[in-house]
Amino acid sequence: MNAFVRSDQAAPEDGIKAGEVMLRVENVSLAFGGVRAITDVSFDILKGEIRAIIGPNGAGKTSMLNVINGFYHPQEGEIWFRGVKRSNMKPHQIAHQGIARTFQNIALFKGMSTLDNIMTGRLTMMRRNMLWQALWTGPAEAEEIRHREFVERIIDFLEIQHIRKMPVGRLPYGLQKRVELGRALAAEPQLLLLDEPMAGMNLEEKEDMSRFILDVNSQFGTTIALIEHDMSVVMDLSDRVVVLDYGKKIGDGTPDEVCRDQTVIDAYLGVSHD
Amino acid sequence: MFYRETGEFKTSYKADQATFPIRFEFFVFWTVVVLAFAVVPFFINDYWEKAVFIPFFVYALGAIGLNILTGYCGQVSLGTGGFMAVGAYACYKLMTGLDIYIPMGFDDTGTMAYHTILLPPLNIVWCVLLGGVITAIVGMLFGLPSLRIKGFYLAVATLAAQFFLVWLFNKVPYFYNYSATGQITATETTLFGFAITGPNAAPVATYLFCLSFLFLFAWIARNLVRGRIGRSWMAIRDMDIAAEIIGVNPLMTKLSAFAVSSFYIGMAGALFFAVWHGAAEPTEAFSINQSFLVLFMIIIGGLGSIVGSLIGAAFMVLLPVLFKNIFVGAFGWPTDLSEYLQLMLVGALIIVFLIAEPHGIAALWRTTKEKLRMWPFPH
Ligand SMILES: Nc1ncnc2c1ncn2[C@@H]1O[C@H](COP(=O)(O)OP(=O)(O)OP(=O)(O)O)[C@@H](O)[C@H]1O
Ligand SMILES: [Mg+2]
Repeated sequence: MNAFVRSDQAAPEDGIKAGEVMLRVENVSLAFGGVRAITDVSFDILKGEIRAIIGPNGAGKTSMLNVINGFYHPQEGEIWFRGVKRSNMKPHQIAHQGIARTFQNIALFKGMSTLDNIMTGRLTMMRRNMLWQALWTGPAEAEEIRHREFVERIIDFLEIQHIRKMPVGRLPYGLQKRVELGRALAAEPQLLLLDEPMAGMNLEEKEDMSRFILDVNSQFGTTIALIEHDMSVVMDLSDRVVVLDYGKKIGDGTPDEVCRDQTVIDAYLGVSHD
Repeated sequence: MFYRETGEFKTSYKADQATFPIRFEFFVFWTVVVLAFAVVPFFINDYWEKAVFIPFFVYALGAIGLNILTGYCGQVSLGTGGFMAVGAYACYKLMTGLDIYIPMGFDDTGTMAYHTILLPPLNIVWCVLLGGVITAIVGMLFGLPSLRIKGFYLAVATLAAQFFLVWLFNKVPYFYNYSATGQITATETTLFGFAITGPNAAPVATYLFCLSFLFLFAWIARNLVRGRIGRSWMAIRDMDIAAEIIGVNPLMTKLSAFAVSSFYIGMAGALFFAVWHGAAEPTEAFSINQSFLVLFMIIIGGLGSIVGSLIGAAFMVLLPVLFKNIFVGAFGWPTDLSEYLQLMLVGALIIVFLIAEPHGIAALWRTTKEKLRMWPFPH
């Protein structure tokens, strides 16, 4: 499969090398009123790795991603991204820094086609102001076509050419998940956050999705944080795993280490999960 | 028979993104344009101008404006009438020579001293365009709450704008140049030597003037909605949280929708006052009924469609004309009966469209197209 090379519009790399810390979560605590969703959690994500976040239902995994992309602001703790401590930023500013994500419950733009949905992933890189847009012919059109070419490569990569012009609302669940991945990839993120990308999929769809995730990681060097319940998928895909339970970190290490850890085994046996 | 999408392959992304990718639609469109610009002007008379064409052009601009805000960006507004009033009054001030007073402090006698700037009366083109710009600024101000409030509550906030603006233009004599009646009356303006406003304006001149505005700005609207800005608007409409997480700035995006929308509505208001009616006073001309009328246009024509805005405007402008000519003219029914019938029909249509096809007549046409494309094979 032919990769799409990073385009020059992507967020700058900042000279971090593979294996160095891309994102560090330090002593983060998050509460909603009385509910403590995350308690004093620290871990890091290295550039180029696939980092899984696992844990039973309600463990605080999604909340963790929401903290990382700025949707929730933790009461305590710090986020360091590419060596810089992050101040309180809005989610759209964080998107511009090069963090993209998919959602546990698909969050596509239902009124738009597959193509338009993935094109929205390029919005952060489009520059032409309203006057050029109004005129269309000229710079705005050239910009549109340049990004369209990039998006078409993503469409080819994800093998969704046949649904390019279809409104996403009409697509089956598995394809919607794929389009959502496409939208995140279109942003050429440094760090890609995937919230249960395979939930509700059949075996074949899961295998496709696993292949896409591995290809994204190996071909474009995208760092990935992945929430997943299916342990076999986690074992296959991830380099390192963080385990959360009731908002606390109870394990951190390679998939093998984590699986042998008694606290992790207890947490999983004690609580039902899907 | 002629309608075929299959068999027309696009060889470039440019061709694929064209407004009328299907040759048939392309020809229909340009035929209509040529007819409108080169044929109708020779036949137009006072009745067709004032009852059909100018109202259509004015409301089409207004409907495009509201559709950008509501259909594309998902922000409901009931302030259309008020924003049309802003455009109309701005146009009036500019065509009569705008007077600006800058307070310079108190003089010896204790009265406020002003520095006065008097602009000369502007050309009608500038009056309409700047009327739009001023409305855009006002629209952005009233759009600020949209960052915090949504849906029904935003609709109520825009309703407040509607009533406030009408009240303002009634209460502050500055806006109607202290005229005794409280009305504003369009002065005579010309373009290339032809009167566009005032009693001497010929139907062909006003027709071409308004048509040109609509043609230009419908094309611009189409360009805006298919590119970066349009996608940001639709992203906010479809799921604002996801939009923000992919990098769309909600405040800027909503405000830009309010600005562009109000710009169109302001121009519509300016044309409504200056070219169509020639005079206006706020309570009747720019009442809440105008807001609803334009809203009905985009619901019937199609939310989130530029063509739908045109269809909706044509529909709502032509309907009363048809009813009048058929029921009152041909059948001799009383006028009020015909009007009630018309209201009931519009009401029923709104309900049907809201329930069955929120994307209006434009979507019905799209579905028909999909069927036609396959014809005569069902699948
Ligand atoms: N916006 C919110 N308001 C209040 N409580 C919340 C909110 N979001 C999450 N929570 C609570 O925080 C805890 C962690 O939720 P979170 O969604 O992060 O879990 P999760 O690990 O993603 O679970 P799942 O596997 O079911 O997706 C839960 O108890 C949840 O009820
Ligand atoms: Mg979750």
